[in-house]
Amino acid sequence: MKKIITLAAFLVVVISSAQTQFEQGMGKAFGLWKEGKNTEASALFERIAAAEKTSYLPNYYVALINATSSFNEKDKTKIDLLLTKAQEALDVELIKDQNNAELYALQALIYTAYVVADPMTNGMKYSAKVMEAYAKGKAIDPNNPRIVFGEADYQLGGAKWTGVDTKPLCAQVDKAVELFATFKPETSFSPKWGLDRALETQKNCEK
Amino acid sequence: MSHQNKIIFKPTGMKTKIFTIAFLLFTAFIFAQNTISGKVLDQKGKPVPGANIYIDGTYDGATSSETGDFSFETTATGNQTLVISFLLFETFKKEIDVTNFKDQSLKLRENVNALDAVVITAGTLESGDKARVSVLKPLDIVTTAGSAGNIIAALQTLPGTQTVGEDGRLFVRGGEASETQTFVDGLRVAQPYGASTNNLPTRSRFSPFLFSGIAFSTGGYSAEYGEALSSVLLLNTQDEPDQNKTDIALMTVGLGIGNTQKWKKSSFSINTNYINLAPYQAVIPQNVDWNNPYQSIGGEAVYRYHFERGIFKFYAAFDAEKFDLNQKNVNFVDPVRTDLNNNNFYLNASYKGDFGTGWQLTSGISYGYSKNKVKYDINDVDSNENAAQLKLKLRKNISNYFKLSFGADYFITKFNENFDDNISIKTSNGYDSNIAAFYTEGDILFSKKLAMKVGVRLSNNSLLDETNFAPRASMAYKVSKNSQFSFAYGDFSQTPVVDYIKYSKYHQFESEKASHYILNYQFTKPGQTFRAEAYYKDYSNLVQYNTRDIQYNSVFNNNGSGYAKGLDLFWRDNNLYKNLEYWISYSYIDSERQYKNFPNMATPNFVANHSLSIVTKYFITDWKSQIGFTNSYSSGRPYNDPNQTQFMNGKTKSYNSLSFNWAYLLTTQKILYFSVSNVLGTQNVFGYDYAKLPDANGVYNRQPVLPTADRFFFVGFFWTISDNKNENQLKNL
Repeated sequence: MKKIITLAAFLVVVISSAQTQFEQGMGKAFGLWKEGKNTEASALFERIAAAEKTSYLPNYYVALINATSSFNEKDKTKIDLLLTKAQEALDVELIKDQNNAELYALQALIYTAYVVADPMTNGMKYSAKVMEAYAKGKAIDPNNPRIVFGEADYQLGGAKWTGVDTKPLCAQVDKAVELFATFKPETSFSPKWGLDRALETQKNCEK
Repeated sequence: MSHQNKIIFKPTGMKTKIFTIAFLLFTAFIFAQNTISGKVLDQKGKPVPGANIYIDGTYDGATSSETGDFSFETTATGNQTLVISFLLFETFKKEIDVTNFKDQSLKLRENVNALDAVVITAGTLESGDKARVSVLKPLDIVTTAGSAGNIIAALQTLPGTQTVGEDGRLFVRGGEASETQTFVDGLRVAQPYGASTNNLPTRSRFSPFLFSGIAFSTGGYSAEYGEALSSVLLLNTQDEPDQNKTDIALMTVGLGIGNTQKWKKSSFSINTNYINLAPYQAVIPQNVDWNNPYQSIGGEAVYRYHFERGIFKFYAAFDAEKFDLNQKNVNFVDPVRTDLNNNNFYLNASYKGDFGTGWQLTSGISYGYSKNKVKYDINDVDSNENAAQLKLKLRKNISNYFKLSFGADYFITKFNENFDDNISIKTSNGYDSNIAAFYTEGDILFSKKLAMKVGVRLSNNSLLDETNFAPRASMAYKVSKNSQFSFAYGDFSQTPVVDYIKYSKYHQFESEKASHYILNYQFTKPGQTFRAEAYYKDYSNLVQYNTRDIQYNSVFNNNGSGYAKGLDLFWRDNNLYKNLEYWISYSYIDSERQYKNFPNMATPNFVANHSLSIVTKYFITDWKSQIGFTNSYSSGRPYNDPNQTQFMNGKTKSYNSLSFNWAYLLTTQKILYFSVSNVLGTQNVFGYDYAKLPDANGVYNRQPVLPTADRFFFVGFFWTISDNKNENQLKNL
């Protein structure tokens, strides 16, 4: 009996230590990202992705880091590199799973980054793709706060010159803020970002 | 790692437990630390910062520093795979012994597929998503002032083209319009232009919005394309439309309606329009007397199906056009009536897919049918043409550095024309032509800086009873980050135009021939492109005849020759001022020919020595508007004045046209569009028609060839209905 318990305990230890390795790695990568070491964080996530083929999260963060870094970059050649990198990482996961709403939210974000980088060239082409990605995500999970917010925010961004009525869009932002409050990430590393920007947009809506 | 060992070890009591913990600590200790270090370099020995270096399957790794150095510790043991990944380089993998890998220099090989690799640009002007060096953006076709949605008109703002206002077709580098062939998804379009008659300009049949990429080659193109002496225009249909939508267009010249449906693996788009110029011509004064204004009804449909490793596309277009007008003719007192009816059908089915490892297959079939019924004064001219192409192309990626393609083409053309003067003459002429061609081409990348393409095309024409062998070669060398040189050479041949070969039963014709030599320099930076291209073209075997007009009893020969040489410059800049884009094209050409019934070498009447186009587009956010101006200038064109002894001695005054357009977004999905051509009302003269016979004083009278109207106004309202409220028809304008 004792034997069995000990063995069971060991198995738990073994399993949890395996988790720990993933958690440690992910934790370290998040640390680097927080410190602003985007390249290093992206590289570590990439290494984790290469070793842990079953989790979509490492590649998700490779894509997210590179996509968000592009917003602060002015050099168009570098923007292109960052977004190509982001798209490559995301493509790996999109091929494995076409039923993950988070991946479509991120896809929409990458397309948005293309539009922001060069609205004159990319606006027409990528706008439709942004909306299509959100629509796909919404079909899978209509209550994902990042999708509800992202879709409304993207249209609000263009409202200045397209003349779209902002009221229903702002209502969507309010809804997204509520969804953020009740949103439960699947694991501690699952995507949970976006509330800060939603609150900011909400403030602008109230003006 | 060491976990498995621990399970095998079966502890039984307290003692063993302590021992196990000790063991665990111990193992952790001995497995712990092997340092891996080194330096990442490119092929020239320059450090590569930002590369990701790691042991495959572990998290152990590092990012290279500014000096390319890296160092990390790993708990892995024995032989492992070291991986270095970085976007601009090929991923590097190496088996290493982790205990003994320190201070090693590692050289990465450039990724030749990376964005900044050299691309052969001699002769080619590209537009589209896939084009690495894009001169035009897809939207430019429609937002260029003066283009009015006509692909050809937008291309005429690029260097190497000639504005021939009374014709409307593409004239490239001293070549006749017939020397340019149009291809849709790699398959030839036998009748790319709408119906036209004497001095009335035609336009492209294709609406620009179904195409995602356009490559326009002004010379030196791939061995894949044949039967074109001067130029090829390659149009590629979209692989995937954006979304389900309905488009409605209300215009001063007609109506249009389109619909797109998208399913999981397939999609279908249809687009129809009805054009009637009657209301417009009633309001705006015309230089031509219309009995029945231009009317057309047409439509295009595209069906696409995505397979796992390929895509099938089916494209069909139909249009029926008619008009009836009286044109003044210097040979007659009264104007001459022309009544024209044209029906045109085009079908194109293609499949493109990958198979095996690194193989790509492209195959397709195209069919075009054109039926013309023309009543010219009392004469009836009815013609019909059936043209088909079969195509198969295979491409093998042997490595990142070498790609081989080969394929075969089969062209079938049947043409027949019946002439009846309704008094005494009734004749029928036609021809039947089959051309079989085979080609092969290799793409070699020596490095990211040096690329080469070599190919040959072998074709056999049954009607002309001849076999042609045409070598092609091009190469490009990148001299710095932003600039490169390309060179292209090629031999080209083409069956003489229908005007001649319909008389094949009276004379055995030969193919006309040209050789191209092109030197190109290109400078590109984000938002800026500069191109300079010098070329020399040598024409031989051109058809000559000995009568005023081409007739069945003319004496023909293939002894004509000619040349064209010149310089094309292009500058495009989006960075000068926010929301402003502009480009400038300048072409210089010197060209002479002795062909047709020319008595000596002379510059043909479609060649202007200097051409200049300036295109601007400016987006005004506060007005929700895009406004654009296009100014086209060309120097005078030669014409022949029979009153003078020297042939082709006359020269028209220079041509200038300033066009303006304004797109206003009412809401995202509703656009109001306004455009006007030749704002300044410049009185342009394209040339002169001289009388066949002199008058009583021995003088040949003449009449100028003028535009059908001095200005063209256009107002349209475009409305898109879709789930996505951001989609609009700006790109359809």
